[in-house]
Amino acid sequence: MRRAGYLSIAAAALAAALALSACGSSGTSTPTSTKAFGVDATGVVHFWARQATDGPAIALVKEFNKTHKNLKVILHLTPPNDDTSQLATAIRAGSPPDVVGLNDIDVPTFSHENALMNLTKYVNALPYKSALSPGHLRLATIGSQYYGVPYLADLSVLWYNKKLFSEAGLNPNDPPTNYAQIMSDAAKIQKLGHGIYGFSFAGDCQGCLGFVMLPSLWADGVHMISGPLGNQTANVASNAPLKTMLADYRTLWADKMVPVNDQTQNGLTWGADFEAGKVGILPGDYGIAAAFKPSLAPDFADAPLPGVTGDSYSTFDGGDDFVIPAGASNPSGAWEFIKWVLEPAQQVQYPSLGDTPIRTDILTPSFAAKNPYDAVALKALAKGSVEYTLAYDAVYNEPGSPWFKMFEDAVYSGNLSAGIQEGQSGIQSTLQQVKS
Amino acid sequence: MAATESSGRAAAGGRAGAGRLRQRGAADRRDARAGLALTAPSLLLVGIFALFPLGFGVYISLTNWPLVGPYHFIGLSNYQGLIHNSVFLQSIVFTLKYTGIVTIPIFVVGYSLAVFVRSNRKGSTLFRTLIFLPYIVGLVAESFMAVVELQPTSGTANFVLSKLHLMSDTTAWTVHTGLATTAICILVIWFASGLTMMLLMAGMQGIPADLYESARVDGASWWSAERRITLPLLRRSIALSLIISVVGSFLAFNQFFIITDGGPGTSTESVVMSIFQTAFADTDVGLASAMSVVLVIVVGLITFIQFHYLQGDGD
Repeated sequence: MRRAGYLSIAAAALAAALALSACGSSGTSTPTSTKAFGVDATGVVHFWARQATDGPAIALVKEFNKTHKNLKVILHLTPPNDDTSQLATAIRAGSPPDVVGLNDIDVPTFSHENALMNLTKYVNALPYKSALSPGHLRLATIGSQYYGVPYLADLSVLWYNKKLFSEAGLNPNDPPTNYAQIMSDAAKIQKLGHGIYGFSFAGDCQGCLGFVMLPSLWADGVHMISGPLGNQTANVASNAPLKTMLADYRTLWADKMVPVNDQTQNGLTWGADFEAGKVGILPGDYGIAAAFKPSLAPDFADAPLPGVTGDSYSTFDGGDDFVIPAGASNPSGAWEFIKWVLEPAQQVQYPSLGDTPIRTDILTPSFAAKNPYDAVALKALAKGSVEYTLAYDAVYNEPGSPWFKMFEDAVYSGNLSAGIQEGQSGIQSTLQQVKS
Repeated sequence: MAATESSGRAAAGGRAGAGRLRQRGAADRRDARAGLALTAPSLLLVGIFALFPLGFGVYISLTNWPLVGPYHFIGLSNYQGLIHNSVFLQSIVFTLKYTGIVTIPIFVVGYSLAVFVRSNRKGSTLFRTLIFLPYIVGLVAESFMAVVELQPTSGTANFVLSKLHLMSDTTAWTVHTGLATTAICILVIWFASGLTMMLLMAGMQGIPADLYESARVDGASWWSAERRITLPLLRRSIALSLIISVVGSFLAFNQFFIITDGGPGTSTESVVMSIFQTAFADTDVGLASAMSVVLVIVVGLITFIQFHYLQGDGD
């Protein structure tokens, strides 16, 4: 019944959008003067940020408003699962916000529909452009044009418990650098018994699995989706690192090296077992560091997510990009706010707010000394990546996604070949369906 | 002469009757105008917030409307595509099965509880409150509670069932279609029976006590009185409770979204979840609107059939 309510509201909003569309501008033209744009702007900037990344948004808006008397930023937090629909409705209604902290994987959906302002010349003018996260920037790029700029990073890393490593006879300063080492270390830690597990994963959270598994493929130089938008293909059947990784996850599951609850872990309490000191290795989110108990924190360390075969590492370039919707009423004010957020003074505050800076040049020895966990994540940012596709949600994040069906077949059912077959055909047909 | 007088009286009576009819007609028209004026605000709101969006939803379903960007008219293509959309068809079948499973237990449990609490004996109010409480708390909070209690090794469900040697304490309820559906059905029966109880109890309390008294004097048993007095006079309340229950089950979303997320695969994906995924994950609002229109028609038909067979003349 609630859904019917949602549909009614959405339909009403869309109806209003149609009625108002004549009033709203939908052009993607760029204001002409680069120097004046984003300098000494006045008025109000409406900033929409996701509740999922509200820490930096709340703190930075508060600070910006304290230090800028002529330009005020008003923050609106969009609820989980509703951020894209709210923005789409606002754009259709011709009254979009001035700036949005948009989940970076959703940026192509909007940029390819000409719904965002072209920021190319302003991004090119940034003196630190080369230090901006390449993965985040890539998602905001069409050809050589930029429709957004990186805002914050939510990165995946490999957490490990140094105390358990020592107890298992492993070197606590030698975290795994490939999947073979992950498997052997996990097996040794598992032997400790007493409710200790070698490894853990969020086995019922499609997005979490993609967040921590895909980087190991990227580190090995392979993507599961390849080709330009509009002509993308699935790369599953001939993906050797993927097969190795799924087989290893199967072993971890079948040999009970992971908690049995992992199969139902939907992400709500992801990492809680690691935080309790019961798990040796956890590919996870850097953000869980904020939940570490001071008494246990010295036991924990993080390392970059290694490639399946090793020799390299990567991370999932999660987080947000700043975008300015086409037709925003105060784009100059929005750009001034964006530039201020990207300054080092603001960027260094990110770790204490639960996220990672978006500029690789923030990683200095003093930053690393003060933020040892985040320094690992920030180092990985330079090698981070994403799957550039319009079908990310449909391929990876939906509960019935082909990615997750493949994982279930291969890991829980132990049928790797069926899983691979399911993954290849399912992802390919989803890409065609979404026209990605 | 007599005939003349008679016809004259008849004519006079006819004029008076016609006058009364005219007066009554005028009064009826005044009543109708007053009724219209009183209901106009509600009608206006229904028009703005229900009928217009519904009509606009039908329009969207005839386009290739994406989440953002331009769109164009594509006729009935979305509807034609639904015939071959296995996920949507599977979600309809699953939702029909789910509705079929929960409707009768909700009614039977609700009716039994209503019989138990309809009198004003001591403790009835407390009992009614306790039974109705799950409905007040809401399905969202209860679904999250269920997720916690259905966890392998740590959930209460497995703890109790393993102590009774009925199930292993590592059973992963939420990732197996049959177990998850069973758990959700039990949860929903617990949640919705309280509302059915309240609706039926209100109907039962409206039945004059004299009827039961007369039946008792005539030697009717409790069961006979229930069958020949309560059930027939409760027909409208029963119809209402069944319609609410069936429509609510057909539009189920929260419990599946929270407990199983439609999985494993899409095996527990309800129709509304399927629409939600199509609109916001696949960003195909046009197709999702077509699915919604089909859902509205199916629910409307089911409701019409229920009205037809259950409401009767109300006597």
